[in-house]
Amino acid sequence: MNRPATPYLIRCSKLGKRFGDTPVLEDIDLSVAAGEVVVIVGPSGSGKSTLLRCLNVLEPLSTGTLEVDGKTLGARGTSARAIRRETGMVFQQFNLFPHMTARENVMLGPRKVRGQSAKKARATADRLLERVGLLDWAEHLPRELSGGQQQRVAIARALAVNPKVMLFDEPTSALDPELRGEVLQVMQDLAAEGMTMLIVTHEMRFAEAAAHRLIFMDHGRIVHDGRPEAMFANPPSERFREFLGHVK
Amino acid sequence: MDFRWEVVWIAMPQMIQGAQMTMQITLLGIGGGLVIGTLCGLIMAFRIPVINWLVFVYVSVIRGTPIVVQAMFIYFALPLAIDVTLSGFAAASLCLALNAGAYITEIVRGAVLSIDKGLTDAGLALGLSYPQVIASIVGPLAFRRTIPPLGNQFIISLKDSALFLVIGVAELAQRGEQLTAQTGRALEIWTAVAVFYLIMTFTLAMIMRLIERRMTIL
Ligand SMILES: Nc1ncnc2c1ncn2[C@@H]1O[C@H](COP(=O)(O)OP(=O)(O)OP(=O)(O)O)[C@@H](O)[C@H]1O
Ligand SMILES: [Mg+2]
Repeated sequence: MNRPATPYLIRCSKLGKRFGDTPVLEDIDLSVAAGEVVVIVGPSGSGKSTLLRCLNVLEPLSTGTLEVDGKTLGARGTSARAIRRETGMVFQQFNLFPHMTARENVMLGPRKVRGQSAKKARATADRLLERVGLLDWAEHLPRELSGGQQQRVAIARALAVNPKVMLFDEPTSALDPELRGEVLQVMQDLAAEGMTMLIVTHEMRFAEAAAHRLIFMDHGRIVHDGRPEAMFANPPSERFREFLGHVK
Repeated sequence: MDFRWEVVWIAMPQMIQGAQMTMQITLLGIGGGLVIGTLCGLIMAFRIPVINWLVFVYVSVIRGTPIVVQAMFIYFALPLAIDVTLSGFAAASLCLALNAGAYITEIVRGAVLSIDKGLTDAGLALGLSYPQVIASIVGPLAFRRTIPPLGNQFIISLKDSALFLVIGVAELAQRGEQLTAQTGRALEIWTAVAVFYLIMTFTLAMIMRLIERRMTIL
């Protein structure tokens, strides 16, 4: 049988993160298989954003090990950059480059990271903009787009470097309710196409519809990790039941 | 009160020479200041170890002393201290460059730090290297933000060049002083000098406006 060397795209063990003396993440053991869609929930300050930022090394780990697509952080020949290339990230505040058009935003990664020619990068960008329904807006600057459109461009930008895993940090929290649907739809399509995704969100309906796994974090630790239907139907702890009561 | 236009007419050639000198000193001053300020501003913004302290000392000294004292020091004290004698013109240009450089350092540092950290994160998350993030994202955005305060600084530098009359540089204000002594007509001479300065500062302001309009500040 021909098994891939690593069945997991992301694997971290005993991952810990502290800011100064304050521990923010402790003993995180997490493995995510290719094609899995994992939703992470938890109260404010529980470390969800920090976990995503550690997974693409925007924050250096304090302890533990991290492996992404078979590349171990800190191993010979594996830089933080090598890991970031394999992970796309979508931020709550979109963070589009304000001096570049939608198309230029999406082209930057293919140009600078994948070394594509301008022509090829443009084709890549247009294909992805079409996929998120924004090819007609390619020439517009971010400030000329609605929040929902900006976030869709941001998703296209992250996809453009061909990452193996996509990380989403509350991608719809900064959006008006009527704009959330268009972003969630794009994410759901991605999930359906088999993209591996880690999503921090409070959208429980999205979790129910698209997630294979639901992770509940509290005080910097993973408290529960299970199937969403089961966890919603039968909350495994009083703490989680309480949390669900707040977000629903 | 009578305003004798012929005094202005006769003084005109000398005043034009003075204005030319003022422009030369100003151009060298802001040119040098831009080089110094950009370099030092980046050093401060990215907290390059050790040299950022030297830059801090430089900025503190310049901001903490009057520019007249700086001019006097460079022209009169430096030759005694390290045995280099500068012409009045060289001392004036150097002084203005050092002075503008300190303020431009702060302008550049402020502009770089004002760029949302989230944009750097977004660039790094794409897999760009840190220098690539600076070159493609932070740099172009920060550059736009320096333009309005730079325009302001250029005008201040132009006007500051007037005090180089204390070291005998034949710029516009010094010409004004000499012409007043020669003709005894303070009203006409200083009115004309003021108009010359106004024309120069106004032109500079218009140029900066134009650049500003060409590049949307984001
Ligand atoms: N750069 C930092 N320096 C110091 N403390 C930090 C830093 N970033 C995050 N923290 C702290 O780490 C803890 C976890 O923050 P994090 O942003 O990961 O939480 P979160 O679960 O994403 O919360 P939210 O739901 O509000 O986004 C918080 O207590 C926060 O104050
Ligand atoms: Mg967060």
